[in-house]
Amino acid sequence: MEKEEYRISFFKPTTLQARKNRNLILKLFIAWAVAIFGFQVLLRILEEPVPEDALIEFTGAWENIESGNATDSDYKTAAKSMLQVMGKITLEPEEFAVLKNGVGWSLSELYPDSDLHDLQKDVRHLNSLKEQITSLQDERYLEAKELIISKAAPVLDIGENTLLAHILAIGLDDDLQDISEESKSKIPGIMSLYLTHNRSVLTDTVFLGFPFHYFYSAVFLLVFFIGLCWIYCYKTDKLHTELNFLEQID
Amino acid sequence: MKKIITLTLLSLIPLVTYASQDVTDLEGSFKVGPAIILIFILTLFLLVGILFRAKDTTDYYAAGRGISRVGSGMAIASNWMSAASFLGMAALMYGTGYHGLAYVVGWTGGYVLLLILMAGQIRRYGKFTAADFIGDRYYSQTLRAIAAGITIIISIAYAVGQFGGIGLMFKWVMGIDYILAVIIGGSVVLAYTFISGMLGVTKNMQIQYVIIITSFMVPLFILTAKFDYFWLIPQIGYGAAVQDIVEGVKIADKAGMLNSLGHHFAIVPSPEYAMPWDPSTGQTFFQWIAIAFSLMIGTAGLPHVIQRFYVVPKARDARWSVVWGLFFICLLYWSAPVYSAFGTILSSNPEVGKLAADAIVVYTAQLGDVNPLIVGLLAAGGVSAAFSTTSGLLVAGSSAFAHDLYVKVINPQAKPKTQMTIARLGTLLMAIIITAIAVLDLALIAQLVAIAFSMAGCTIFPLFLLGIWWSGSNRAGAKAGLIVGSIVTLISLTYLIGDIAGWVLPFNGFITYYLGAWYFAWIGAPLAIIANIIVSLSTEETPIEIRKFLIEKVHS
Repeated sequence: MEKEEYRISFFKPTTLQARKNRNLILKLFIAWAVAIFGFQVLLRILEEPVPEDALIEFTGAWENIESGNATDSDYKTAAKSMLQVMGKITLEPEEFAVLKNGVGWSLSELYPDSDLHDLQKDVRHLNSLKEQITSLQDERYLEAKELIISKAAPVLDIGENTLLAHILAIGLDDDLQDISEESKSKIPGIMSLYLTHNRSVLTDTVFLGFPFHYFYSAVFLLVFFIGLCWIYCYKTDKLHTELNFLEQID
Repeated sequence: MKKIITLTLLSLIPLVTYASQDVTDLEGSFKVGPAIILIFILTLFLLVGILFRAKDTTDYYAAGRGISRVGSGMAIASNWMSAASFLGMAALMYGTGYHGLAYVVGWTGGYVLLLILMAGQIRRYGKFTAADFIGDRYYSQTLRAIAAGITIIISIAYAVGQFGGIGLMFKWVMGIDYILAVIIGGSVVLAYTFISGMLGVTKNMQIQYVIIITSFMVPLFILTAKFDYFWLIPQIGYGAAVQDIVEGVKIADKAGMLNSLGHHFAIVPSPEYAMPWDPSTGQTFFQWIAIAFSLMIGTAGLPHVIQRFYVVPKARDARWSVVWGLFFICLLYWSAPVYSAFGTILSSNPEVGKLAADAIVVYTAQLGDVNPLIVGLLAAGGVSAAFSTTSGLLVAGSSAFAHDLYVKVINPQAKPKTQMTIARLGTLLMAIIITAIAVLDLALIAQLVAIAFSMAGCTIFPLFLLGIWWSGSNRAGAKAGLIVGSIVTLISLTYLIGDIAGWVLPFNGFITYYLGAWYFAWIGAPLAIIANIIVSLSTEETPIEIRKFLIEKVHS
């Protein structure tokens, strides 16, 4: 008998206080688990890989380029899409180099042959200036960038005071015309990797300015955790008062 | 001796290389203002410590018993908020987007487990260290010694990330090489721990919390106001910035929307920043879940966190101090993603290149053209966060060495003076080991710290969980669980080291993915619990006096 009395198990409480405490813990634990993992599972179930518009446009244009049926518009589209990926901070340096190669080559396909040599000179000048300057605000450097933008951006139908134009100015190789087969084969994979995202109604709904799922994990869950802790303390205090349970101070 | 010191210092001089002056370099050279702020804050901590000096050992351990629940919550938050919280979380989100939120959720959700499953019971059990609890509950000196050893290893693993953070901030303030910065920073934190070892720790922790949170918050108001977001509550206002990153920000017509390098506040559409487990980040759904789960159970198994509950008057205070502690912790955790979002936009121009993620908090403030003194305060806050946690870890590790291992197991007759010498030697030894690992710069700060969490989740957490809630868990079961948890830990760490060293081990891809060093507790902890239960059920029952104690003292 004595042995039985001195056995304790979370799932087999022997007193009223222990039973109530277990029930409270179980309820809070389930709420905690569902709120954290249940939501992520729901996110996973609902999501679908969705390409950015730039990828859809790029894919069509690139197919034409590879089949040899490309129009000027295809080269422009491909270059603009590649520039968009070059602006992503998660891009690895070697992938940046491949796309740089691709953009330069697309531009050279559109640029008037007679002026291409001059553009190459300007690009080389800019790249060599970058090695010499001590500030990105250096007048010579800014002028060199502006010159390239004014020459190259209109060829690709890019507005001069746009982000893509600024990326273009620093995204050209000294040698514009050459592209290796290896680079060419890598470009579609890189584009697909960076322009496809898992999306659903939970990611596309905007709440308090946030994508909803982001708000849920970054803001709401933390509030919820504090709430769960508060409920536990409040209910436990209440339970102890009801059962006249006094805690020792030592 | 003096000659040796002089020669050592002279040999270090060539290492003092100033950071390269690249056009997009954000490090620069020695920064007078931030250095003064840093020295001022560290001196303030020492002065407060001297002013509220503990009278004796009991006063030291029970320092929190005289303070309010709010004060105790601040102390919990300060003890908890390390370089991983201050610098590491924003770094993870900067590099991997939504994946980084697994760390935010893991490091806060764990407190719910800690509260509902352990806090009050730990307080009622009435031991001062995790090893004490394990040794007594499982009536085993061997387990006490192993638990002390694990506490030391966890403290070292945890502190490696902190030394990395201290090194980064010293590098930024002094404009020196990272390795030298770690050595200098590590030496300063060691000296600080020796001086402040018995000073007014809890009071200091409250002041440290105020400094940490203030330094972290002020730049956020400036950044949100400057770039036209809702600045009154930056933790909500940055939501629009996240959405802007997803949709892209065009170059604005408005003047002043530039970063400190002259780039426009603009970014191409970058849904990968916010979309879940985006393919381009290389992170998966499984990893998100495994990290969050491992960090949560790790939180409930970390010795220096558990120990905080012994310093409140009663179990009720232990419970309420968790609520306040979690609230104060969340203030920082709501804020860290703001740095990551602004850092992403401000550094998005390819001319800047990918920044060192662990310094992104400071870099964001710099790129946002925040006043250098405020950036200096931010860096000092980062150092304070790392200091408060590191000195706590060094004290926890050295007391495990001196108290749990030396006095309780090796030499019970040891005099207090000998114990103190052993503790100091332990602290010094730990600091040397930590520095040696930290200079290798193995991974991001938060990832290094996550290793400590998984270790705690696989080893300490199962022992506490079953020890408190099931009297059937006995010594043999505890040993079996510990062996299983340790094996999983060893396998994971072996593959991590192999990965770094370039070895190709059997099943390399499978093990490094499913037993990743930052989240191996997702499977290690359940296996350790199962092993504990199976062996306990098939061996001799827990002695009656332990069961009686559990019923009468812990659960009644």
